[in-house]
Amino acid sequence: MRYGKNVTVENAELFYGDFQALKNINIEIPENKVTALIGPSGCGKSTFLKCLNRMNDLVEGCKVTGSFKIGDVDIYGKIDINELRKNVGMVFQKPNPFPMSVYDNIAYGPRTFGVRKRAILDEIVETSLKEAAMWDELKDRLNKSALGLSGGQQQRLCIARALAVKPQILLMDEPTSALDPISTGKIEELMEELKKDITIVIVTHNMQQAVRIADKTAFFLLGELVEYGDTDDIFTSPKDARTERYITGRFG
Amino acid sequence: MDRTKVKEIMSKALFAIAAVICIIAVVAIFVFLILESFPAFKQIGFFKFLFGANWKPNGDDAFAGDVSGSYGVLKMLVGTLLSTVGALIIGGVLGVFTAVFISRFCPKRIKGIFNTVVNLLAGIPSVVYGFFGIYVLLPMLGFFSPNGSGSGILATSIVLGIMILPTVVSLSKTSIDAVPQGYYEGARALGATHEQAVYRAVVPAAKSGIVASLILALGRALGETMAVTMVAGNAVNYPTGLFKSFRTLTANIVLEMGYAGELQMGALVATGVVLLLFVLAVNLLTGLITGRKKSGGGRKKTAGFLSKIFYKVKLEKIGRYVSWACAIFAGVALVSIVGWIVVNGVSHLSWDFVFGNYSVVDYKRYTIGPSIIATLMVVALSIVVSVPLGVATAIYLNEYSKKGSEFVKIIRTAVDILSGVPSIVYALFGAITFKMWFGGTISILAGSLTITLMLLPIVIRSTEESLKTVSDGLREGSFALGAGKVRTIFKIVLPSALPGIISAVILAMGRVISESAPFIYTMGSSIQPMPDGYMSSGTTLAVALYRFASEGKYMNEAYATAFVLIVIVLGLNLLAEWLGKILNRKLKGETNAVRKKRNS
Ligand SMILES: Nc1ncnc2c1ncn2[C@@H]1O[C@H](COP(=O)(O)OP(=O)(O)OP(=O)(O)O)[C@@H](O)[C@H]1O
Ligand SMILES: [Mg+2]
Repeated sequence: MRYGKNVTVENAELFYGDFQALKNINIEIPENKVTALIGPSGCGKSTFLKCLNRMNDLVEGCKVTGSFKIGDVDIYGKIDINELRKNVGMVFQKPNPFPMSVYDNIAYGPRTFGVRKRAILDEIVETSLKEAAMWDELKDRLNKSALGLSGGQQQRLCIARALAVKPQILLMDEPTSALDPISTGKIEELMEELKKDITIVIVTHNMQQAVRIADKTAFFLLGELVEYGDTDDIFTSPKDARTERYITGRFG
Repeated sequence: MDRTKVKEIMSKALFAIAAVICIIAVVAIFVFLILESFPAFKQIGFFKFLFGANWKPNGDDAFAGDVSGSYGVLKMLVGTLLSTVGALIIGGVLGVFTAVFISRFCPKRIKGIFNTVVNLLAGIPSVVYGFFGIYVLLPMLGFFSPNGSGSGILATSIVLGIMILPTVVSLSKTSIDAVPQGYYEGARALGATHEQAVYRAVVPAAKSGIVASLILALGRALGETMAVTMVAGNAVNYPTGLFKSFRTLTANIVLEMGYAGELQMGALVATGVVLLLFVLAVNLLTGLITGRKKSGGGRKKTAGFLSKIFYKVKLEKIGRYVSWACAIFAGVALVSIVGWIVVNGVSHLSWDFVFGNYSVVDYKRYTIGPSIIATLMVVALSIVVSVPLGVATAIYLNEYSKKGSEFVKIIRTAVDILSGVPSIVYALFGAITFKMWFGGTISILAGSLTITLMLLPIVIRSTEESLKTVSDGLREGSFALGAGKVRTIFKIVLPSALPGIISAVILAMGRVISESAPFIYTMGSSIQPMPDGYMSSGTTLAVALYRFASEGKYMNEAYATAFVLIVIVLGLNLLAEWLGKILNRKLKGETNAVRKKRNS
């Protein structure tokens, strides 16, 4: 089943045990745009991101309240969580290719959802790699281990792997913080391409990156969503004094 | 979609069932020890048992009708402690310096050889060392002994010391190798010589690993049974002289459990409880050290103590020579033991001896064909039962259970303790419980089940360790793609942990082949004819070697058996190393290429 591409969050609160990591978050993330989440370390960006594909379910003692909707679907309601994650892909800070071949890495997702035919898998692998602008680089080494790729290639492979299950939304948690400038540039170009088809939510510590790639920016502080709006507005005329102090580099 | 859900639930249930079975087995051993020893403790008195100096199961004068007996283990307690300390001094000192040598002084060219040899030697069964003790060491020591007999605390310490040597070397070496190069370079940059840098910077930094290897060795020396009975003399005495016949706690159990009456059996199980208390103490010690490692404060204290010793003896001046000397001594000792067995073993080997059957009537002509079969049967059954159960339990504990759960913590601690419990304690459990189940008769089945119990904690622990090396990033990556738990476990986690699990399985096989104490009273100690099923009695190779060697009349058979044992164990070790390499390469290499070939 297909979910929508826009996210609506109302009155979200999240607790890790007794610790409240998210406080009354309200946000609407538009479809086919790049939305950046910024804020100092520990303010809850990753936590918020992981709410959107319910990776927080894996954390013991994590409680979520409020309403999270993707399209019209309440994702904390009665849904199939694996189906949700198929619709909402994720790319992590540290590239995490599986210890298998490039091909098997990309085919992992489709195989999970029952695709067995070789021809279909071949096609998925090719289109995913093309979407991630890696096909020419990798078409001759599909059977080589993914662990032999460079860090930047590994991260783009992880993006291709996420794309292989045809997600509607892609979550990226500091996807370039471990990479060199050239690889970072490639991934940023890629996002520009990808947003024609999908919605991207990206956590970043790099404010220039947010300015370069994001249509919308959300500033988090101590578990609160302080300010949210068009990236241009946030960076040129922030409404909140705390936002201004953060983007001018005076704390965090 | 529903099918995946069913699969998830079914798998979780299966893993949980395996875990429950393992937990029951683990609990059963503790319950057994407590229940069986309680009457004895009650009748004898806990402190009288622990600190009583007399062990006379039949009373002072059985002929006069005094059969009440007295049960005090103090002499054996002292004997165990002293022989363990002696073994640690010999094996520990030699081992640590040899490890320093291999890691930092050894010429590059022979380093690889040293590594392989040490790893191979670590698998040699302890009865082999006991055999060496009886035939080489005792006559040699007897030469210096006032009473002409070489047995006693000195011989025992030497045999145990040699036995733990490879373990100490290999584990200490690993931790010295792991010290970041920066420590060494930093010291050299300050003008220290190579020796100074090694002994003042590198070795102190590897301290906690070295201490951990010594503690592990201590546990092994403490729990060793058969090799000790071969060289200790076994009279119930305080070890007041180097050559005075004495007895350890483990020896006490194995020597008397064959004919013990009710109270005496209880007292033997109580001896097992004392051994368990030792293991608990050792575990606490380890916990203290590793706990300190985390806090860092106390670590400095011990490290400071270590380096103080090094300063005192000016090790950085003579260190190179000490390491060389220790390494040469250790190398010569171990290689000559193996060489002695190989040379003599090969010359007494014959097709008939290895593969022939023999009948009880013809008791002058022994063969080990039946022992090989019995050993294979035990290995097969115990691995087939313990590996699936143990791996499934480890998966349940590591992948399904709640991280902070108290219950899981207790299970982990119990598993930790049990994996250090001497095999003789399992022997007691097997001899009493399984023999009872099977109508009081010994059988290969009973022996296999006993050793299975011993393997379970080992398999669980090493599997959990391999599972922990799989990074959480991989699991998250799989979940984020919409894969469920079962798929993640079977496609991502297990393949990554496989090399570790396989080598654990092969090492477990080695353990079964090397053990002897658990089999003696569960499946047979005298040389048995060809088994015709799991219900017949049988002798494993290690037990056969013990029998041949300690009876004194079957020297040639002993040589040949020891040789066969060593060949099998070394073969297993090589197999483990090779498989590990292949699997690791495969994991990192061309997985799909292989699959493609198979598909087309
Ligand atoms: N599994 C967890 N259990 C308990 N507390 C957690 C857990 N994960 C995160 N936290 C806490 O929640 C808060 C938000 O963490 P989060 O990882 O979302 O921050 P972040 O904004 O992504 O920071 P960074 O920029 O460093 O990645 C932090 O105070 C963190 O300590
Ligand atoms: Mg984060």
